[in-house]
Amino acid sequence: MIRLFKVKEKQKQNSLANGGGPPVKKQTAGELRLNKDFSELNLPQTCTIEFPNGKDDLMNFEVSVKPDEGYYKDGKFLFTFQVPPMYPHEPPKVKCKTTVFHPNIDLDGSVCLNVLREDWKPVLNINTIIYGLTHLFTEPNHEDPLNHEAAKLLRDNPDEFESNVRLSMEGGRVGNTWYTRCIENPYD
Amino acid sequence: MADFVAPPSRSRDLDKLLLRTGNLVGSNFEPGAELRDDLQEYARILVVGAGGLGCELLKDLALSGFKNIDVIDMDRIEVTNLNRQFLFRVEDVGKPKAEVAAKRVMERVSGVNIVPHFCRIEDKEIPFYNDFNIIVLGLDSIEARSYINSVACSFLEYDSDDKPREETIKPMVDGGTEGFKGHARVIMPGVTPCFECTIWLFPPQVKFPLCTLAETPRTAAHCIEYAHLIKWDEVHSGKAFDPDDPEHMKWVYDEAIKRAELFGIPGVTYSLTQGVVKNIIPAIASTNAIISAACALETLKIASGCSKTLANYLTYNGVAGLHIKVTEFVKDKDCLVCGPGVLIELDASVTLEKFINLLEDHPKLLLSKASVSHRGKNLYMQAPPVLEEMTRSNLSLPLYELMDKVAKDTIHVTGTTSKDGKKTSCLRKLRVVFKAIDGVTDMDTAGGA
Amino acid sequence: MAEPKIKYDRQLRIWGEQGQAALEKASICLLNCGPTGSETLKNLVLGGIGSITVIDGSKVVLGDLGNNFMLDESCVGESKAKSVCAFLQELNDAVKAKFIEEYPETLIKTNPSFFSQFTLVVATQLVEDSMVKLDKICREANVILIFARSYGLTGLVRISVKEHTVIESKPDHFLDDLRLNNPWPELRKFAETIDINVQDPVAHKHTPYVVVLLKVAEEWAKSHQGSLPSTREEKREFKELLKSKTIAFDEDNYKEAVEASFKVFSSRGISQDLQQIIDDSQAEVSSSSSNYWVMVAALKDFIASEGCAEAPLDGSIPDMTSSTEHYVNLQKIYQAKAEADFLSIEQRVRNILKKLGREPDSISKATIKSFCRNARKLKVCRYRLIEDEFSNPSITELQKYLTDEDYSVAVGFYILLRAADRFAANYNCFPGEFEGPLDEDISRLKTTAVGVLSDLGCNGLTVTEDLINEMCRFGAAELHAVAAFIGGIASQEVIKLITKQFVPMSGTFIFNGIDHKSQLLSL
Repeated sequence: MIRLFKVKEKQKQNSLANGGGPPVKKQTAGELRLNKDFSELNLPQTCTIEFPNGKDDLMNFEVSVKPDEGYYKDGKFLFTFQVPPMYPHEPPKVKCKTTVFHPNIDLDGSVCLNVLREDWKPVLNINTIIYGLTHLFTEPNHEDPLNHEAAKLLRDNPDEFESNVRLSMEGGRVGNTWYTRCIENPYD
Repeated sequence: MADFVAPPSRSRDLDKLLLRTGNLVGSNFEPGAELRDDLQEYARILVVGAGGLGCELLKDLALSGFKNIDVIDMDRIEVTNLNRQFLFRVEDVGKPKAEVAAKRVMERVSGVNIVPHFCRIEDKEIPFYNDFNIIVLGLDSIEARSYINSVACSFLEYDSDDKPREETIKPMVDGGTEGFKGHARVIMPGVTPCFECTIWLFPPQVKFPLCTLAETPRTAAHCIEYAHLIKWDEVHSGKAFDPDDPEHMKWVYDEAIKRAELFGIPGVTYSLTQGVVKNIIPAIASTNAIISAACALETLKIASGCSKTLANYLTYNGVAGLHIKVTEFVKDKDCLVCGPGVLIELDASVTLEKFINLLEDHPKLLLSKASVSHRGKNLYMQAPPVLEEMTRSNLSLPLYELMDKVAKDTIHVTGTTSKDGKKTSCLRKLRVVFKAIDGVTDMDTAGGA
Repeated sequence: MAEPKIKYDRQLRIWGEQGQAALEKASICLLNCGPTGSETLKNLVLGGIGSITVIDGSKVVLGDLGNNFMLDESCVGESKAKSVCAFLQELNDAVKAKFIEEYPETLIKTNPSFFSQFTLVVATQLVEDSMVKLDKICREANVILIFARSYGLTGLVRISVKEHTVIESKPDHFLDDLRLNNPWPELRKFAETIDINVQDPVAHKHTPYVVVLLKVAEEWAKSHQGSLPSTREEKREFKELLKSKTIAFDEDNYKEAVEASFKVFSSRGISQDLQQIIDDSQAEVSSSSSNYWVMVAALKDFIASEGCAEAPLDGSIPDMTSSTEHYVNLQKIYQAKAEADFLSIEQRVRNILKKLGREPDSISKATIKSFCRNARKLKVCRYRLIEDEFSNPSITELQKYLTDEDYSVAVGFYILLRAADRFAANYNCFPGEFEGPLDEDISRLKTTAVGVLSDLGCNGLTVTEDLINEMCRFGAAELHAVAAFIGGIASQEVIKLITKQFVPMSGTFIFNGIDHKSQLLSL
């Protein structure tokens, strides 16, 4: 298939003469695909995105969701995204960094969202996930619970659920858990 | 008839193939003693992985006429390796695989030189990989395959007619096994599909929904994953789970048992717990031997041309009877990793902004609102606003400078094109060549990796 | 001492403790320990085979070091069998390894009863004449035999045993047995306890699809004179009916129900493969019948009477969207039926044994249970005597192969391997074995190949010149990579035969190292 040796020797001499060139960073197929995702990113009004490691590390970023309706209106919820090298073959890992009283997010920040696990497909993108996250806040779902207590309350007593959500967002205590305040003070 | 006796030689059997002419051979086949000697002297082979496949590969290659072999592996020997990784003994447990494997083969096959590299594949500089004529992969992770593939493809250069330049092709031979099944494939970047062209061959791993784990567990695996993914974090806030720590594994197993009892679910065992948590792939000596042998044979054929090469993907399945199938996959001509990309010639003075405008009118691209990246650096991002802001200042700078003043190189652009009146977004690879830089005027060398 | 278990962990996940125990009980005899034989044994020794006996009469020469990893400089001039045996022992001290310095051909000729002590004989690099003789010996002694041969870029593997029966065939994909097309009373009753139209959305989306399908099938049957959907149109309507029951767009259990609806339509009764097994003449048992066939006879009786034309239920159900409670209950119902079916089969087995004048408890409960669990996946493999294949192959198959592009190289090698043996018998060496111009050997081999073909009744068909050239070029070389491949296949088949799990290959495997279009030939 290839004329290995003769050619090889010649090439070696050439590359020595050229001085090789600087060592280069590899750009993985995953990073390239992520670039595409971002260039077509269409953030919902309620979301902002940050790149804590600067413009050249897109594999780690943060998304804040600030719902403008529903139980979680005016709260601000921070999610970290870790994109694996095999993206989009594998989905990003997403964690909620704000403790929240929510049926589909547990107190360790695990998120029950189908596109993050069982329903992830390489044709999906970062936009899909961000929309999924905003959806969780406008329509929390008691049928697929991760926080059992929150799910039960949402189903059986929406009023109490609402007041617990408020309490938690203001930095109060619900059950045995103290929550950190996630409503921005408009006067700050 | 048998009156002539050849002088004794180690390569008694191999000589038949390398010294005699044949009709069903590769186009580069030049039989003779020189071929055999060149193979020993000049051919340099890198074996990636010194596990089940790697051990076999080193043996097979050392006995197939190769004398200069390197092996790279970051792992140490474990007891569970001993049922198939035949170069290791009980007393080797804990030692680096690459080092022990290299030593054992050199002990038995005189004249062979095997250089071990006990490190991660990413730890090596890219030029390290260019020193080898053929890279043979004995890996169990698609991530590592993808990495080596991108490295090997980065050496590939195309001529001005978008034909791959023969001397820049870095052939790869890849093997993989799982139980009684396996595959062997030959990748000639630019000629046959690369790993990325056919990434869909590897089905994504099954992941259970977290809410199933939390609320409606039904199987033993659900109970184990609950303990591993949910309960661990709940109890050990902040402490990372280490699958190689037996105490961590025992904890997950105990929790899984508790949960299984609570829900009346049978089947949680320690062995299954390890299997689920570490995603253990069953492995046996025979399948590894078969796949490695196929890979080593192809390596010999690529290097010597002594027979045709596999075109290009072989699957083996010994579960029910014996099924060996060869499939000729076709490459993705627009593959970002191995494809030629679009050749663009520029003056060194062209600014990034001007370059972006130029892409809009380029007949092969017609790309508007382009974002540009070069070797992991984002030169300009159209979106989101926060990235646009961070990269905006680059617009007025010459692209040549932004690309570290390299005369020719690959960049990637994403943007939108209009096709049949419909806007679609796309990601393209470009080979940028700067005119009149450092004597690169000859179109013949206008390649760009 | 948990170490062996840890060491074998990765293979125990494939063939389990039972398979491992079978391997550890087996004794293997290897004839000729060139690279093909050595590599075969290496893979078995690593896996913990019970004992090996290496038989080879030759001394190690320098050329052997170039293709056999088991030999090094210090072995030159020594017995090859002894040297290979020593290295193999080093790989695993749990294996009993011994050697006999003797030519296999001599043993075959002078001491045929020698082979009856082994579970299995791996015969490598034998020529036709010895293969035929050994095959008869092993068939007579009921010893499993595997031929393996590497020859340049080709080679073959062939199993020979009168009959190999498999209970645990462990197929990759096998359709589960849910009986949705033929539910038994308890399953129906369970379905009746569940309201699939429940209002609570959580309960609705956690009703297992098995129950959904049973209920909807019943509803369908009521409005269709008791019959289930059969035409394409009806099947489509049935799926529509299913979809109409959903109350939210994301009900996974209904998606699963639609996907699994074919299980409602599929025909009842046993597969053709299983029908063939219960129709086998061996199922008419006698006092000398094997346990396998005694159990098949019981199975046959069960299917004809109590089983209502179905095999015993295996009792396992796939994972499906469901509440834990429903799922666990469903599991219990399937397991209860499987247990009842097992007891019924067991009773039949005991009765048959008694009738045959054998100890009724001579087949263990565990074996019968495993048989029932795998009843739908039973396999029987039979192999022709090598002599029959050689002297009287299937002409229709042979002609088909010779004219089929995918098979032509493989069958060409098959003919040429036989021609090479005939060549060797005539000229005392293999074509191209020694140095010098190949022209004469090429024309001789061509004549010999034409002779082989015409003896087989394939006049007018021939093997290509290119392939004949290649065969002479190979000069009977045993290349390491080819030997490792052939040895790998041979050891894989040994494992399947010894563990009695999975399905061994049928026919003759011909390796094609040119483009890897290897084939199995059924001749």
